Amino acid sequence: MNRNLKRKLAQYGKYFALSIWALIVAFPIYWIVATSFKPDRDWFAWPPVYWSEEPTLNNYAVVWADHKEEYEGGTQYSHSMQKPWKALRNSLFISVISTFFAVGFGTILAYGVSRYQILSEGRMFQLLMLRMVPPIVIVAPLSLYYSTLHLLDTITGLVIIYSITTLPYSVWMIKSFIDELPLEIEQAAMILGASRLRTLWEIVFPLVRSGIVATFLFILILTWSEYLLALILSKTEVATLPVELSKYEGSVEGRVYGRQAALAVGVTLPLIAIGIFIRKHLARGFSFGMVKR
Amino acid sequence: MSNKISRRSVVNGGLTMAALSSLPMPRMAFAASEEEGIIAAAKSAGGTDLKGMIWSNYYVAMKPTVPAFKQATGYGVGSIQDISVFSIPQRAMAEAITRSPEFDFFHLDSNMIPSLASAGLLEPLDKYMDKAGFKLNAVGNFGNFMKYKGNTYGIVTDGNVHVHMCRKDMMENPEEQKGFEDKHGKKMAYPETWEDDQRLMEWFHRPDKGIWSSGNLRNRPNGVTWWYMYFYSAGGFPFDDDMNPTLNTPAGNYAVETYLNMKKVSHPEAPGWGTPQMIPRIASGKIYSCQYWDGAIGLNENPKKSKTAGKYTYGLIPGSDFSGKRMHRSISSPVAAILVNRYSKNKERAAYMAMWWATQKNSETIVGDNVNTFHDPWHVAHFKSDKVYQTYKAGLPAINSCLQVASPPIYLTGLLEFQDQLAKNLSEAYVGQRKAKDVLPETEKAWKKIVRKIGKKKLKAELASYKALFPKVNVPG
Amino acid sequence: MPPFPGSALSLLQNMNSSPTSNTNGSTKSRPRQLVQARAVQRFKWSVLSVLIVVLVAVLFPVLMLQLYFSFHGYSVYGGSWWDAEFVGLELFEEVVTDPRLGWAIIRSLLFATGSTIGCFVIGFGLALLMYRPFRGQAFYYILFILPMLTVPIVIAYTGEMLLYQKGPVNDLLSSIFGRQVNILWLANADTALLTVMVLEVWNWVPFSFIIMMAGLAALPDEPIEAAKILGASKWRVFVEIQLPLLRPVIVLALILRFLEAIAEFPKAWSLFQGGPGSATETIPTYLYIVTWQYFEISKGAAMSYVILLIMVAIVLLAIQILRREKIGLDQIYDSRKETTA
Repeated sequence: MNRNLKRKLAQYGKYFALSIWALIVAFPIYWIVATSFKPDRDWFAWPPVYWSEEPTLNNYAVVWADHKEEYEGGTQYSHSMQKPWKALRNSLFISVISTFFAVGFGTILAYGVSRYQILSEGRMFQLLMLRMVPPIVIVAPLSLYYSTLHLLDTITGLVIIYSITTLPYSVWMIKSFIDELPLEIEQAAMILGASRLRTLWEIVFPLVRSGIVATFLFILILTWSEYLLALILSKTEVATLPVELSKYEGSVEGRVYGRQAALAVGVTLPLIAIGIFIRKHLARGFSFGMVKR
Repeated sequence: MSNKISRRSVVNGGLTMAALSSLPMPRMAFAASEEEGIIAAAKSAGGTDLKGMIWSNYYVAMKPTVPAFKQATGYGVGSIQDISVFSIPQRAMAEAITRSPEFDFFHLDSNMIPSLASAGLLEPLDKYMDKAGFKLNAVGNFGNFMKYKGNTYGIVTDGNVHVHMCRKDMMENPEEQKGFEDKHGKKMAYPETWEDDQRLMEWFHRPDKGIWSSGNLRNRPNGVTWWYMYFYSAGGFPFDDDMNPTLNTPAGNYAVETYLNMKKVSHPEAPGWGTPQMIPRIASGKIYSCQYWDGAIGLNENPKKSKTAGKYTYGLIPGSDFSGKRMHRSISSPVAAILVNRYSKNKERAAYMAMWWATQKNSETIVGDNVNTFHDPWHVAHFKSDKVYQTYKAGLPAINSCLQVASPPIYLTGLLEFQDQLAKNLSEAYVGQRKAKDVLPETEKAWKKIVRKIGKKKLKAELASYKALFPKVNVPG
Repeated sequence: MPPFPGSALSLLQNMNSSPTSNTNGSTKSRPRQLVQARAVQRFKWSVLSVLIVVLVAVLFPVLMLQLYFSFHGYSVYGGSWWDAEFVGLELFEEVVTDPRLGWAIIRSLLFATGSTIGCFVIGFGLALLMYRPFRGQAFYYILFILPMLTVPIVIAYTGEMLLYQKGPVNDLLSSIFGRQVNILWLANADTALLTVMVLEVWNWVPFSFIIMMAGLAALPDEPIEAAKILGASKWRVFVEIQLPLLRPVIVLALILRFLEAIAEFPKAWSLFQGGPGSATETIPTYLYIVTWQYFEISKGAAMSYVILLIMVAIVLLAIQILRREKIGLDQIYDSRKETTA
């Protein structure tokens, strides 16, 4: 009886603690969503407006549908000239392609390291250093180098640098999954005459698929939200969503929070959707160690 | 509302006609000739669409005037890189380093002209202006802001200047007037000096009612703009003729003191606030007074966007008697202007496009846009224009008098370097990270280093064009 | 971020058959072995050559350019960068004696340490509560990884909306504590860095959380069960068994977070631009100001090398620690293996 009570109390305590953090996590996210539905007088109000009494879709219309606001004496053009759809397309292209390269090549490299130690442990750590150099350190000479190669303001340019800077994570992550696969399966396949590449493609790859999906998502997050490199290496053509977001301010009317929020929802939603969609893979990916034991 | 818009398009349509047709329209004849000159010159230059670096918040008001130009000359603006006017100096400098011909024009703070011209990026525009028979017809000393070492490098589109605004409704209250008079022994009146303003701000400071009376910025990037006004009006100038910094002088210390004094009447969050946070306070009536960019007037007086329409009075920026004579000095930064890329194949064409935006008629359309108030008046004609008056209302004469005493920040190569050192030290003193008396000596030390790096000889040669930007009058008539 | 736990686990599993080609030699005939060795070599170099070519083509010129600038006094206001004057170590001297850089390094270290500890403590705490299946696990799991999916620049702007003095956060805190809370999140020079830290922690708790979840979930059950049967308290099981086994995972989680935090730029920059005063002038912020506001490309380059050296030193130290952890762990597992055998 007493023990039962104790367990119950512990149970409640756990839910209580988790719920507190859940609130801390949820509140800012709620605020972004709520702001995206607020008319302009509620953006920066005293006291704060938690949910607008007159919710509006106007912010979305202005940002995503090029809606022009009409005021007495003229039309508000501001922010209808920006190109969120183009930025969305750029962001999608750049982050998906560079993640694809990083994960694709990373898988092959990780396989080699795991099975044949083509990189020594020391070299693996050196590889990690690629990621550890803050981008600000190399961005000035990089932009100069890119300009001589005409890679500034191109998707290729950003894809190259993103693939390189995320490769270390990809190799390290995927290697850990391959390490956990029993070697016997591959040996059996090879004894049966399968080529190395076929073994990799048909045997190894499916078995670590969840791990690769998890890696893919993680690297997608990093490239999707990268700001500094995208800011400096882009001009007119390949502004990504984070760069586009930083434009939403007015020197006269202040920062246009509602518009920013409407854009931010669009920026974040795809990632959250993907995250939820592949949660199963994430979970499986993370429990890999248990499967083997 | 809709007929207002159609009126607008009628105006645009009228413009097109004025530019294109030879219809006898007596009232437009004079204005059209200015444009005809530009079009004739532009036609002879012919060519392809332009690419510019310009913030869409500015470009939206300019865009409607482009089709008429394109129809007449065969080229217009093809594409723009849309980034904040505050980021353009960095991006333009990156273009200068790589000598890129990609952009034809840049739209940014004209105070960057010395730096960008020194970096080799800018094309002098005088010969194109002669060819088109075009002259910048700006109020006061304002045309000199486009000049550096005798050449014109920019065409202004936005005559930013700080104006003084204070709350008429609060000052007209008889109780307040009586109380003020009882305390200070003189009548409450529009402030003529910084000391007057401080006294009034302290009087109206009512934090318990949500009113922190100063609306002046004190954050790191912007606060320094106010310091210049105190410094110049006390008769200060930041360098001697040998380019030694002269900040740590009585005028400099007076400016620092005035700057820090306002902490008493500023919101506690002021050190973190820029325009995005301050403007809503100004437009919602949570301050008593401030000196602010004149664009704020358009917002204040627009009842759809603010709660303060008709509540502010606008006028000349306060001055100082510190130097022994009364001096008023306002500040113009950023003055958004079109600068042309020397490396571009389209540079001549870009110059004509820029002039097109600065004609009397077109600039009136651009400045008179009362919804997107990003361009503020600068042309002599703007101050007689109905359209512009509709936007700025009672603020228009104030803008005129402040433009008479408009002064630059540091109009030398290395503006951003000089300015950020000062801004950082001031901001540190404001938040208590540094002693007030250390601000100027420390800044002088850093400035000496910058002078050495950029080159004393080079900077000495620029001093004349810096000094030429200062107003000839101390108190505008 | 499963890999690191994973990689640590794979370290654990090295005690089983280490999955490398040389261990299977005994079952094969010599010629076959030779053929295979050659094939492995071919595979190795075809993969590595791609990597090397890309790194040499992209990173090498960049580092060389950086090196060129750091030894040449290039000024954007005088001539082209390729005929800048050689100045030897002058720039490095300037950088090393620059007190602003010193402060920036101290701030960055403070910021990185604080936010790493914050992320880790909360992340580990949540993982401890959650690693065993329970009702609602999936719900909390999804919710808790959301901040990581939010773009940092969005977090900065949201922070601006939430944290002003009369803003929602102070408002909520006031109603929770029953008296007026007036924290100056965005304007107090003493706490501005802390504000960025709070946002950084909010953003990256999921990182530590996911790693620790995976690490905890992968712990072997037997020693824990054994200890429980012997009557050890939960706390002792945690401190004496779980914690030592988790150490490599913990160290990895800490190191990676620390290094990423040093590079944090978007939040600090878009909220404060180095201010108020110079309270948020961290390494990336100061480097950005020097390079893109003062246009001192050469000084920026020399500074980059100094920072690069510091980072390399930190990474090498981290690698040392990781290696030691790995060896220590191997020993634990070896002894465990012996006792169970």
